[in-house]
Amino acid sequence: MSDLGADVNYHKFHPQSENNICSRGINTVGIIRAPRGDGKEAIVLVTPYNSSKIDLAEASSLAIAYSVFSLLTRVTWLAKDIIWLAADSRYGEYAPVSAWLRDYHTPVFGGFEKLGSEICYESNAHHRLKESPITERNISDDFRRAGTMAAALVIKVSGRNKEADDTLSIYAEASNGQMPNLDLINIVNSLAVHRQGLLVKVEKFLSLLDSKYLRIVGEVFESVGYIARSLNPQWKFGISAADYMEGAATLASSLYYQALGIPTGPHGAFRDYQVDAITLEISPKALLNNKVRQTEFLQRGGQLIEGVIRSVNNLLEKFHQSFFLYLLTSPSKFVSVGVYMIAFALLVAPLPIVAASLYSDANKKHRTSPFPKSADDEHRNILQSWKWLYAAKQVFIIHCLGVFFYFSNQMPDWISKIVTWIILGSPIIYAYAAQSQKREWCILKSMTISAAFIGLCLMSVINFATAEIGALLLVPMCLVAHPLRLDLGARSLKAFTRVACNLVLGFIGFPPAAFFVLKGAFEGFESVNISDFWNWIACLCAWNSATYLYICMVHLPCWALCIWILLHPC
Amino acid sequence: MEERKETTATTKKKQCFWTWALASVIFRLVLIHFSRNLNLASRPEISTPLTSLRRLAEGYWLKQSSVSPYAGSMYHGSPLLLSILGPLTVRRGEGQHNHLICSDFMTAMLIRATGQILQMTYNQSLKSLGIVRLLERSEILSSGDIAGLVYLWNPLTIVTCVGSSTSPIENLFIVLSLYGACRRLVPLAALGWVIATHLSLYPAVLVVPLILMLGYGPDSPPRKLFLQKTSIKVGKDPSIGIHDQQKEMASQPMLPIIFSWPLVIHFILWASLWSFYVLLLCGISVNQYGGLGEMFKSSNTYGFILTVPDLSPNIGVLWYFFAEVFDFFRNFFLMVFHLNILFMILPLAIFLNHRPCFLAFVYIAISSLLKSYPSVGDSALYLGLLGLFVKELADIQFSFFLFCGYVGTSLLSPVMHNLWIWRGTGNANFYFATAMVYACLQDNFGGGECECNA
Repeated sequence: MSDLGADVNYHKFHPQSENNICSRGINTVGIIRAPRGDGKEAIVLVTPYNSSKIDLAEASSLAIAYSVFSLLTRVTWLAKDIIWLAADSRYGEYAPVSAWLRDYHTPVFGGFEKLGSEICYESNAHHRLKESPITERNISDDFRRAGTMAAALVIKVSGRNKEADDTLSIYAEASNGQMPNLDLINIVNSLAVHRQGLLVKVEKFLSLLDSKYLRIVGEVFESVGYIARSLNPQWKFGISAADYMEGAATLASSLYYQALGIPTGPHGAFRDYQVDAITLEISPKALLNNKVRQTEFLQRGGQLIEGVIRSVNNLLEKFHQSFFLYLLTSPSKFVSVGVYMIAFALLVAPLPIVAASLYSDANKKHRTSPFPKSADDEHRNILQSWKWLYAAKQVFIIHCLGVFFYFSNQMPDWISKIVTWIILGSPIIYAYAAQSQKREWCILKSMTISAAFIGLCLMSVINFATAEIGALLLVPMCLVAHPLRLDLGARSLKAFTRVACNLVLGFIGFPPAAFFVLKGAFEGFESVNISDFWNWIACLCAWNSATYLYICMVHLPCWALCIWILLHPC
Repeated sequence: MEERKETTATTKKKQCFWTWALASVIFRLVLIHFSRNLNLASRPEISTPLTSLRRLAEGYWLKQSSVSPYAGSMYHGSPLLLSILGPLTVRRGEGQHNHLICSDFMTAMLIRATGQILQMTYNQSLKSLGIVRLLERSEILSSGDIAGLVYLWNPLTIVTCVGSSTSPIENLFIVLSLYGACRRLVPLAALGWVIATHLSLYPAVLVVPLILMLGYGPDSPPRKLFLQKTSIKVGKDPSIGIHDQQKEMASQPMLPIIFSWPLVIHFILWASLWSFYVLLLCGISVNQYGGLGEMFKSSNTYGFILTVPDLSPNIGVLWYFFAEVFDFFRNFFLMVFHLNILFMILPLAIFLNHRPCFLAFVYIAISSLLKSYPSVGDSALYLGLLGLFVKELADIQFSFFLFCGYVGTSLLSPVMHNLWIWRGTGNANFYFATAMVYACLQDNFGGGECECNA
């Protein structure tokens, strides 16, 4: 890189590993200073590569980046600095990028040791790189910076694909469901499709494409659109069944990956610093084993990246005009927050209404005459309007257990196991312990529904996709909850259906059960393994995802409270 | 037999109270050690430009460097607090938290003592009104204990204590003045009032309930009930059932409904004495940097509170408004906002003159809603005092919804702040919406209180 005239520096970092193995990685960073720019902004290109074992695909990604980089040193339209980060992905792709970004944004003054280098005391002699004093002029150990980042692109080349043409896959989700500005994806998509003729793909659930039920729904929509168009030619909202199914599969995948809260690529590290970034994975249609194919591939990929960088280079402001909150239904179509929030609002709107009605019903039943005839009546009146405090206390205790469960990954194993069993066993324990206290279950249900409502609303602000999926599982269960003893004693069809609904919803509401059911529905029941759930939870926990917080502090306590209501003695 | 049962019940109650009080102190200590990630001291809901301990540390450092502590426009509090809390902020330890924990604990004790006094006077007035049977039941709910525990275990109080804010000290002095007035200890009441006003300007409105409390005594039912009873005694023949009670009442002395002026004059004298002393201390403290004039300069202490120059977001409603108002109208709107508090003083004083303790509670609630830099520490104070009036608030209709509202708003506000500042996908409107909802809640709360005491 220094031969091209760029500023180069090596960034040493220490990725966190579980067993505290001392590991070091070295990123190589090259910066082109724009000759006519003011040096205040930069565009970042990231190419992860495994420094111990480079295969053909990673070499191709480095090659594309190098060719673009060398072009950019000679070009005249450059207004922002260009940073090329060749990230050492021996210990994962995300770690080097996030370490570099952390050091970029926290300058250390006075030559103090960087944090983390105290962990490993290895002599530098082991990892010294060969330096030839003649050619490497601009390489330094100081951390070089280039101003605020306007946008970032992570470029990966993967192995050969099965399609007819070179394919570009876009990964946009960052941590906790945050997305880059839609403008960045639009730039890449339009340049790739219209200029380079690449086939652009976004992740989708392939199993949904084969689903019969989805095909039926798609055909219904198609016929509705056809009828509407025949009634009035200006109503053009019809969509073909194939489009609907593809869109639904992509939407489900987009919703799921946002709900997980785990970044889908190294671009996720940039979002923490409010930099728009996406990962582009280019896969060639044929093996790149001869020079002609390599050149053609390099040219297409390089032209695409040059086009994107040129667009970002011409911007005066950071991306802010388009949406930040959206779900992709195809690389060029999306559902914005104004549309999908309505679905969530409709789903969650019954909750406060039912809570209010349950509470006022419970209060009305026991209101004695307004004039206290005796001191007992007055005393009871005082306690009447504060009766919900008992229910509040129960809900609070369960949520405290949920908080304990959340922090249990930092405690030794035996404590977390005990807490797990307490939470799972609490409904049964309470059902026996509360025999003497014939408390109102109405107020408890009202309190549970309020807690669920507050939790879901808060979660919808933090990560909408989690709140949506959580609401789909939680809201029916909370609304239908009714003590089983009352229903079994009533012996009517309505009561019986309610019992059946309660049992089914109570089963699905339990997070492991929901996980297995959904996984089985999407991938077939043969591939379901018991340990999958714990791995999934451990993954969420390791990435500090807000979804784990939601499951521990909202979903699990509300589920436990609903089971409590089901088993309530009355 | 009954007396022994009563004493065992009271000792059990006392033990229960003390165990919970100590548990809350231990909980605070535990939380201080484990809450570094939460960054409570930098949240705008907890530390405002007036109460932040970080700013106090900067003011103290400036003072140590022989510069006026107000030179950096970071510190805007009292010079006395600088001398007391300043040395503790120097070493990077937990020293400053111990003071805050102590002040929380003492505030809770004082609230409990105030509750006991209020309960005693309530029982006395019930006796004199002849409603003897209610006395037996009202022993069960000890409002003082409940109020003290509510104050200690309120999450807002705990978060204020752990989050390095000086609100617990202000709350301590406000409650000290109320306690002094209830016990008719004039110097104590005057001290509490003077220092509370000195630390943050708004407790000055508490002079009205304090004078009423010293003059009339603590809360009692409306005076017309007493007048009704005397008229019944004079006019009608004794009817069956209340025959004995009337004879009892005739032998008991009537509660005097006179306003004791000597106590009020004592209070004014002591208040002027204490304020003179405090100003003297402040003068000595800032003597090298320009004397008292430096302190009273606009935008240093009281000028800062009144002119609101710092518009960083907080849980109040003034910052957003004053970020938009034109300079020409700024003084006008400042006057409107401050007079908003002052206008409510007189009508409420007339309405609630027989219940000065409750009047003080309502004043504290109003000032924490409309003050220029509110924080959750102020709400913590009036929510704690709420426990003192548990019996009177039996009729409040919407306690459940207000509770859910408080929980929802206090959880939503940090999320909206994060969305605005750290993620960049929100803007100031989101955070202000949360502040408005919080203000509406407090409004409904105060309105509900006053209504059920009508």
